[in-house]
Amino acid sequence: MALRPLRAARRALESMARGPYVALVGAATVFVAVFATGLFAGALGGAERLLAAWAGEVRVSVYLAPGADLERARAAAAALAPGRRVEAVPSEVALSRLADSLGEQAHVLEGVGPGALPDAVEIEAPGLSLEGARELAARLRSVPGADDVDYGTAWLEGVERFVSRARTAAVFLFGALALATAILVSNTLRLAVFARREEIEIMKLVGATDAFVATPFLLEGLLQGLLGAGAAVLALAGVHGLLVPRLAAAVSAARALTLADTLPPALVVALVGGGAGIGLLGSALSVARALRRT
Amino acid sequence: MIQLFHVTKEYPGDGPALQDVSLEIDKGEFVFLTGASGAGKSTLLKLIFCDEPATAGQLLLFGKNVAKISASAIPFVRRNIGVVFQDFKLLANRTVAENVALPLEVRGLAQKEIRRKVRGLLRSVGLEHRADKFPPSLSGGEQQRVAVARALAPDPALLLADEPTGNLDPERTLEVMDLLYGANARGTTVVVATHDRSLLERYKKRVVVLQAGRLLSDGDSVRRAVS
Repeated sequence: MALRPLRAARRALESMARGPYVALVGAATVFVAVFATGLFAGALGGAERLLAAWAGEVRVSVYLAPGADLERARAAAAALAPGRRVEAVPSEVALSRLADSLGEQAHVLEGVGPGALPDAVEIEAPGLSLEGARELAARLRSVPGADDVDYGTAWLEGVERFVSRARTAAVFLFGALALATAILVSNTLRLAVFARREEIEIMKLVGATDAFVATPFLLEGLLQGLLGAGAAVLALAGVHGLLVPRLAAAVSAARALTLADTLPPALVVALVGGGAGIGLLGSALSVARALRRT
Repeated sequence: MIQLFHVTKEYPGDGPALQDVSLEIDKGEFVFLTGASGAGKSTLLKLIFCDEPATAGQLLLFGKNVAKISASAIPFVRRNIGVVFQDFKLLANRTVAENVALPLEVRGLAQKEIRRKVRGLLRSVGLEHRADKFPPSLSGGEQQRVAVARALAPDPALLLADEPTGNLDPERTLEVMDLLYGANARGTTVVVATHDRSLLERYKKRVVVLQAGRLLSDGDSVRRAVS
């Protein structure tokens, strides 16, 4: 028998057209699983991108105790942070910068003396990770006259810990989700196969091989998986388009979030491929069972 | 074409459906299998159709020992056999033409060739005008004629019919039987399981009588068979 792929594809499309509800349920099951997986992966990717953006703005400030030698502290800081831009910021310059940042509200600083803010040494460390910032700050505590060291992004540490744990959890979650989806899709497709058990029986009566019977079912599973996963990827892009502007209004760094951050091409390929694979696996499981029984 | 040597078929937890049946059916024969309900007629057809294996004995089909045919080769053996059932076994969601085309599609024939053959088959069973209808909209007799057309579509060497007229009135019964008779006249070996004595009397062909799974008689005339 010639197992003609085009004819098998036509039979698969015809049977999907004959039973659109079963096909839709199969595709919807894949959609839900792929969407949930993609949402989680996209949120994780976005959070990591935000963390990188925030961490990239690292500026470590070493505040000096009154009477400390600013130039000596700057030189020590430069030695401790080689290759970084190190700037000595005298008290009056710090006050002037503060006034600039306050803009029209600068009048609140009237009467504040030049010694109100401590002398400081500022180290710019763009692209430094949170861990690197933490280590640099610890080293800079040994700057002569250092009273306090602030690296500005310390608050991100909690977020970083959360993302790190979420990343570990994601591995298990994705595995569990993929398994649950395969079972769900298999059950949904088993219903489809069950609904057509008479057709399978009759095809075998007229001399159809197992491959002839199974191929359209496998193609249906594949198509349902592709449809569900494709729709889920589109929905994820929609969620990105809806959420990012709202997030950017609250967190300025979110403005830099692009679709490639939350839905990178590799993730799209993985989601669509995973959805198609789950559809194929689910239909293979159910049709194999049906063939054994006829 | 079909040779049975001391064939027995038993189902677990049940008595033997066939016991020590030996039988030979030659190419081109028309044979009625008859007997009361439970006599083993359908079981014998299932064995011939490679639907179930015999528990003991040997069954040779087209000269091959059925027990030695691998599972993957069975579909190819079935392509030489047409089957007709009492309940028609038509796909309700496919048109008459699509139902008849099914065995031809399985064989991988070109669509043009399939359409040509289906048209001819439907004409031969008088249903050309019903090609685009769905089986549930047809009468019982028409549905069985579709089933016969489907069974004959690939020009099988052997046609098995299990109570093909069991659900039909006398007029429709004769229509269907004439189709089977015509197929036999064109060279197809036909085996019909029936308990309808009027058919045995009308067609006067070889009659094999089964009783409680045993071969009771095998004769050329209905008189001998039913006596």
